[in-house]
Amino acid sequence: MSEVAAKSPAETPAEAPAEAQPRPRRRLIASRLVPYLLLQALIVIATVLGLRLLQPSDPDDFALSGFSLRQDGVTLPVTLPHFTASRYSVDDPPLYTGSFTFRRGEAASGWSVYLPRFSNAVEVAVDGVVVLDSRRDANANRPDRNTPQIAAIPASLLREGANEITVRLFVWGPLKGFLDTVYVGPDAALRPAYETRTLLFVTLPVVFSAWQSILAVILAIMWLMRRREPVYGVLAVAMVLGVVQAYVPPPVPPAATSRLASVLLASAPIESALVVMFGVLFFGWRWPRYGMLLFVPGLVVFVVGLIGGPPLPRILFLVLGIPTVGLCLLLMAWVTATAVVRRQDAASFTIGCAVTIVLVCWIRDMLTVIEIVNTDRIFVSRLSYSAMLVAIGAGLTWRFARALNQVDNFADQLVTRVREAEERLKASFAREEERARAAALANERTRLMRDLHDGLGGQLVSIVALSERGHEGASITDAARAALKDLRLVIDSMDDIGGDLMLALGSWRERASAQLRPHDITLDWRVATPQGVPLHPELRPWHVVQIVRILDEAVTNAVKHAQARRIAVTIDTFDAGQGPYGVISVTDDGRGFAIAGNGEAGRNGQTARGLRNMRNRAARCGAVLDLSSDGSGTRVRLQLPQRFPDSDMAAG
Amino acid sequence: MTEQGETGETITILLVEDDAPTCWRLQDALVKAGYEVRSAGTLGEARAALAAGAPRVLLTDLRLPDGHGIELIREMRQRFPDTEIMVISALGDEESVISAITVGATGYLLKDAFPTDIATTVRDLVAGHSPISASIARFIVRRTQGAAQSSAEPPPGPVLNTARLTPREIDILWGIAKGFSYAEIASHLGLSKQTVPGHIKNIYRKLEVHTRSEAVFEAVQQGLIKL
Repeated sequence: MSEVAAKSPAETPAEAPAEAQPRPRRRLIASRLVPYLLLQALIVIATVLGLRLLQPSDPDDFALSGFSLRQDGVTLPVTLPHFTASRYSVDDPPLYTGSFTFRRGEAASGWSVYLPRFSNAVEVAVDGVVVLDSRRDANANRPDRNTPQIAAIPASLLREGANEITVRLFVWGPLKGFLDTVYVGPDAALRPAYETRTLLFVTLPVVFSAWQSILAVILAIMWLMRRREPVYGVLAVAMVLGVVQAYVPPPVPPAATSRLASVLLASAPIESALVVMFGVLFFGWRWPRYGMLLFVPGLVVFVVGLIGGPPLPRILFLVLGIPTVGLCLLLMAWVTATAVVRRQDAASFTIGCAVTIVLVCWIRDMLTVIEIVNTDRIFVSRLSYSAMLVAIGAGLTWRFARALNQVDNFADQLVTRVREAEERLKASFAREEERARAAALANERTRLMRDLHDGLGGQLVSIVALSERGHEGASITDAARAALKDLRLVIDSMDDIGGDLMLALGSWRERASAQLRPHDITLDWRVATPQGVPLHPELRPWHVVQIVRILDEAVTNAVKHAQARRIAVTIDTFDAGQGPYGVISVTDDGRGFAIAGNGEAGRNGQTARGLRNMRNRAARCGAVLDLSSDGSGTRVRLQLPQRFPDSDMAAG
Repeated sequence: MTEQGETGETITILLVEDDAPTCWRLQDALVKAGYEVRSAGTLGEARAALAAGAPRVLLTDLRLPDGHGIELIREMRQRFPDTEIMVISALGDEESVISAITVGATGYLLKDAFPTDIATTVRDLVAGHSPISASIARFIVRRTQGAAQSSAEPPPGPVLNTARLTPREIDILWGIAKGFSYAEIASHLGLSKQTVPGHIKNIYRKLEVHTRSEAVFEAVQQGLIKL
């Protein structure tokens, strides 16, 4: 019902502004209510006509209407159908005596006696022999069921000519006794009418009850699975009550039946109150607390009946129950009419029409009971009520299925949307990735170009210059070797070393050793800690290139200008309390050089440039370069940063 | 001065290099060291030279005018399992050297190496030592790390099966990659210095793809053969 509830505010746009403008609202109500009431009037007429048309016809050729009634010691002639006074004792019941003529030649088949309607029970005797006692038929004992009875008259009983038929009418109050026309005739002629009535008043209620019980189970399951929608539960309870009521054996005086069973027969007021509750909940309103008062009459009947025993429940039912049913039907009619005005949807229209039909049936039954309308005392309220419940239950189930379909559709839409979103996301992610890759590639290209420009390019140019000058041998070879070494360094730096600078230093050691070997210089390699220098996940190839170039420069200086015999490389990790940092020192035993006041080597221009380069490179990596030199050698100390910078600090 | 093997005969080297100056350079260095050197400029010449008999050492460039050095290495490995094979490389880049190692080469020789280094390297090789450079060791250990982390995407570069390497061998490779000497590695790992070259030989053997089908598969994987 959540769906309906959700719909209602949307469909009553008049509600909020209505407070301020009462006139349009009244007009709106009128414009909606009048057609609805006209429709209901049409339905009332159709129901009345329909009920009249549906009135089962009886084989009038075999009707026996003239009887003499002996009651309380008085005998008087009566014409059937006939009402007798209500009584509460089954002793000495009213006795109807009549006669019919039997001619053996008329029919080949046997004869039967057929009683279309009576209340509450009959015992039929032909020529003093009992042929029918309806008290044995549980269905026949229900005054609301309109059960017909038929009994074959044994052929041996029938005499040629006049025969006597007596009908003892058992009545238990508070309803008046009633005996409809009795039919005696060939079985073949009576049976069809009997079958029609049985179908309408016995089989059909059973079918409805079965249907109701199935729906009760379905609705109960729905309610169990969706506790927040009590409307299913309410309707399920109403249906269960109706089913129990339909199958409980009716009490037949003087037989002692359980009081509970007799009380359950008076369940109609509770059922009707439940239906009102259903209506209120179904249309999305709150069930007011005082609404529980509606259950009071039914419960009173119930409790008093349990304590007092029959016939009290029957009397209370008539006095309290039936007016409650009527009240509930009127309330329901009002509820649906309000719903129609507010919502104008198919559900409220349908239920409203159904309520109107049941109401008409109930009014007709009331008129029958107080003998204003002669309907052969056929009650149709229960039948129409069952039909209504079944219709509502079927409607609810249909709605439930539709809601499931909507959920499916919603799920499908959701899946589609999620897929679309996913694809969009994927596309944008791919674009982003592509952009990032392009940016990374461009960065790498820039880096590579700078590296090649710094090293290889200069060296190749220098080779060209040397060759053009007609230089021979050593200097060109040196320049070419330097170029090759730099190319190897650039290639080597591209390799992913996972932040472990030691892996780059390992390759450098090999290259440096190869470089030093022809000069007969020993390379001492000392790694103070097993780890060497700390791991730097942020280490990028360009950091590696700069660091290795600093080391290369230091070694080259030692070889070329200091005439060192021994070069020591020391790799260590220090920790001054702010995290570990690596230190790489290159120490030689050469003759050293003088450092000017500004930290530049003044003696040799080339050395000075080399030292400046080293400082620049160190600064770009966030490292600190420390130079000390005297007559006993030179020491280059490179202190690595704790974290290498992301961008080139001295770029541009 | 003539370099001789254990049995006393002169050690023969087949040098396959298409660049003439490089070829002369290497040949000079080797001849000066006392080796008998036959040189070839193409795959065809190399095969023709093999007809005369198996050399003790094969030094080959990878890019040759009429084919790839990998083919020659594989043929050599099958026909003359006793021949030591080394790649000649300008840069010593892992890409080509690792491919050669998987078909049976042992390390590489830089084309610009100093003559003494060239002679030393070949002498060590003939003596049964298997030189391994820091960058090659690094490539191999990085590959073992990659295999341990996730095998969802094969790493770029040549296919290398490191599954057969023992933890000890991987430790040795780490040491070499970080620039430690054999002695330093031996002391770190509690080994005798003499056992390290043996381990390295084992590493080379384990990285080699043995069966013919495996070799073909690897070659196809590396794009050296087109089916």
